[in-house]
Amino acid sequence: MGKIEWAMWANEQALASGLILLTGGIVGVAGQFRGWQFAAYAIVAGVFVCLLEYPRSKRAKGTSVERTGQYCFTVCVKSFGPLTRNYYVRGSLHAAICVPGGFMLSTVLGCVCLGISSIIYFVAAIRGEHWEPILPRKEISREVQDTVKNPPQNPPPRPPPETRRKRVDDLEEAAYDNPIPVSE
Amino acid sequence: MVVSLRSWLANEGGKHFVLMLWLGANTWLFLKTFLLYFTGQQYHYLYKMLGLGLCISRASASVLNLNCSLVLLPMCRSLLTFVRGTHTVSSRETRRLLDKSKTFHVACGVSICIFSVVHVSAHLVNVVNFSGRYSEDFPALNLARYKGEVRHRFTLPTFSGLTGVLLVLILFLMFTSSSYCVRLSNYEIFWYTHNLFIVFYIILMVHMVGGALKYQTNIEAHPPGCLRANQSSTEQQGEELEQGEDEERRCGEEAHFLPHYPQTWLWVSGPLCLYCAERFYRYIRSSDPVTIVTVIRHPCDVIELRMLKKNFKARPGQYVVLNCPGVSSFENHPFTLTTCPTENKETFGIHLRVVGDWTERFTQLLLPEPRMDMEILPMVQQRRYPKLYIDGPFGSPSEEVFNYDVSVCVAGGIGVTPFACVLHALLDGWTGFRLQRLYFVWVCRELQSFYWFAELLCALHHKLWQENRPDYFNLKLYVSQTDNMQVGVTHSQTHISLAVYDRERTRVGVFCCGPKGISRTLHKLCNSSRSSGTTFEFNKESFS
Repeated sequence: MGKIEWAMWANEQALASGLILLTGGIVGVAGQFRGWQFAAYAIVAGVFVCLLEYPRSKRAKGTSVERTGQYCFTVCVKSFGPLTRNYYVRGSLHAAICVPGGFMLSTVLGCVCLGISSIIYFVAAIRGEHWEPILPRKEISREVQDTVKNPPQNPPPRPPPETRRKRVDDLEEAAYDNPIPVSE
Repeated sequence: MVVSLRSWLANEGGKHFVLMLWLGANTWLFLKTFLLYFTGQQYHYLYKMLGLGLCISRASASVLNLNCSLVLLPMCRSLLTFVRGTHTVSSRETRRLLDKSKTFHVACGVSICIFSVVHVSAHLVNVVNFSGRYSEDFPALNLARYKGEVRHRFTLPTFSGLTGVLLVLILFLMFTSSSYCVRLSNYEIFWYTHNLFIVFYIILMVHMVGGALKYQTNIEAHPPGCLRANQSSTEQQGEELEQGEDEERRCGEEAHFLPHYPQTWLWVSGPLCLYCAERFYRYIRSSDPVTIVTVIRHPCDVIELRMLKKNFKARPGQYVVLNCPGVSSFENHPFTLTTCPTENKETFGIHLRVVGDWTERFTQLLLPEPRMDMEILPMVQQRRYPKLYIDGPFGSPSEEVFNYDVSVCVAGGIGVTPFACVLHALLDGWTGFRLQRLYFVWVCRELQSFYWFAELLCALHHKLWQENRPDYFNLKLYVSQTDNMQVGVTHSQTHISLAVYDRERTRVGVFCCGPKGISRTLHKLCNSSRSSGTTFEFNKESFS
C-alpha cells in the first residue's frame, strides 16, 4: 500500500556497492592477484559510483534528509542535466560498469551488488521516478506587514474617572474575591 | 553546560558498562581464536600454507558467530516486556538498560557487517595462497587441484564459496535497506528485506559443510614439523646430529586431516528458536480481532479509537501495534495506548495522528465522509468498522514514571500519548504509587491541540485539588511557533530548576517524548552539573 520510492533504496544500495567494489579492488591490487588490472578498474569504478550516488534525491512527498556535505556533489551531479536525472540512464550505466567486475574473484561481489541496484533503478524508472536535487531553500524574508493600516484615533471607552479612582476610603466595598485563584 | 560526573554516570554509566562488556567479549573471542590457529599444533601445516589469512578469517568467523546469536535477543519484545514487568527480578537500572535494546541490536548488526568484510577479505587472501602455495607434501590439505589454478574456478563451485556469496548478498540487502532514510520513507522495504534473516540463518548454519579448512587428527603419531621418511635433517647439521635424535624426530605415520564440523548451529540455534517462538506467540496472541467501540475525531488531525479485546491487560506507558487488513495486509504500525483497561472499564484507547497514507486510509474506513443526500433524511447509519488486529502490549520507558518520587514529563505534540495514559491511571487512583509529585510540560504547535486531553487535565487537576493535594500535579502548557520548538526547551529548563527545590529527593526521573531537538537538549541538561544533590535520570521514548 502506498507509493514506495524505489529510487531511495536503489541509491543506498548503489552507494554501498560502490564501496564494496572499491574495497575489492584495493584488496586485488594490494595482493597483486592475477588480473589485477580488473581490480584497478574496480577502484576507479567504485569511486565514480560513490561520487555519483552520494547526493540524495529530493523526495516526491515528505521531508528529504540530506547526507552530510552533499551540496557540492549535488551541484556537480545536477550539471549533467537529463543524463543524471533519468533513472533509465543510471540503471544502464550501473549495469555497464558492473560487468568487468565479474572477471575477478575479489570484485565479483561488488559486481553482483551493483547489478542488483541497477535492476532496482530500472524499477524506479518504470514507476516514473526521477532525480531531483535538494537545493537550499531561499529564505523568504518576512517583511513586517503593515497590518495596522489605520490605528484607532480615539481611546477605548472607559467608565467615568470617579468609578475608576482607587477607593481608599471605602476598603470594604472595594475588596473582591478573585474568581480564579492566582498561583505562582 | 558542564557535564557533571555523577549525573553522567547515573545516566550513561549502565549503557557504557554493557558496551564495554560486549566489546571485551568480542576482543577476547577474536584473540583466542586467532592464537589457536596461530600456535595450535593441529593447524601447523595449514598455517604454513595459508599464513595470517587463516587466523584472521577464523577469528572473525567466531566473532560473527557471537554477534549473530546476540543480535536476535533484543528483538524478543514480548520477553523484554515481561522482564520489564517483573519488578522483583529486575531493578530499575536493569529496566533502564532495556530501553536501549534497539541500539544494541544495531551495534551487533554493524559489527556483523564489519567482520563479514574482514572475513571475506581474509578468505580472498586464503584463496590466493591455496592456489599459489599448493602443497605437494600434503595433498589432502589443498583446495586447488593444481598449483596456480585460477581462483574462482575452484572456490565458487564449492559449497562454502557459494553459501558465502549468498550470505553476503542477503546481508547487503538487509543492511542497505535499514538506513534511517529508508526506514523513514519506505518502512515496508526495510521490513520485508529484514525478514530475510531466516534465510540468512539457515544458510549460515550449513556454511561450513564440506569444509575447506582441515585440521590434523594425529598429532601424537605425527608431531608437526617432524621428519618424513624421504627427508633428512638440514645439510648444515647433518654430521653433528646424533643418530638417536634423528630417529626421534621421524614421523610415526602420515598426517591425517579432517575438516571441521559446522559449529555455528551451537551458537545460533538457541536465540533463533527463542525468537521464532516469540514471533509465533505474538501471532497467536494477535489472531483475535478487536472490537471497535467508538471513534472520535479531535482537532488537528487526531482520531481517538476506543476498543475492546478479551484478556487484554496493559500498563500505562505501553504501546500496541495495529494491523488493519482492509488498509494493508502486511503493514504494522505502533501506537501508544492512551487509556489502559482497568477493573471497572475494559475498553482501551489510542490516539492516532493522521500523517501518512496508512493513517489516512484507516481514518477513511473508520469515519466515511457523509454523502450529501444523507443529510436530508436523518438515517441511522450502521457502522461497519474494518477488522483490526492488535499485537502487544509492549513495554516502553514511560512505564517508569510511577517508580520515582518526583517525575518530570516533557511532551511535544502527539508525544503526549504515553503521559496521557499515566494521567488516566492517576485519575483512577493516585495514592497507590511511589510517585509523590509530577511536573508536566506539554508543547504544541497549535492551541487546538490541547483539546485532545483538555478534559483529562481538568478532571485530574480538579480531583487533586478536591483531595487536598494541589502540589501533586504541576502543569505547564506552551504553544510554539512552527519553527521554534526552543520554547519547550527553555521552559523545561525552568521545570528542572523547579524540581531541584525538592531537596530531599536524590533521584528525579525526566521523561521525554517528542522531537529530537527537545530530547537532545534535555538529555544534555540532565547530564550537566547541578549544585544540589539531585541526579536527573533521563528516559526517552521514540519509535523510529
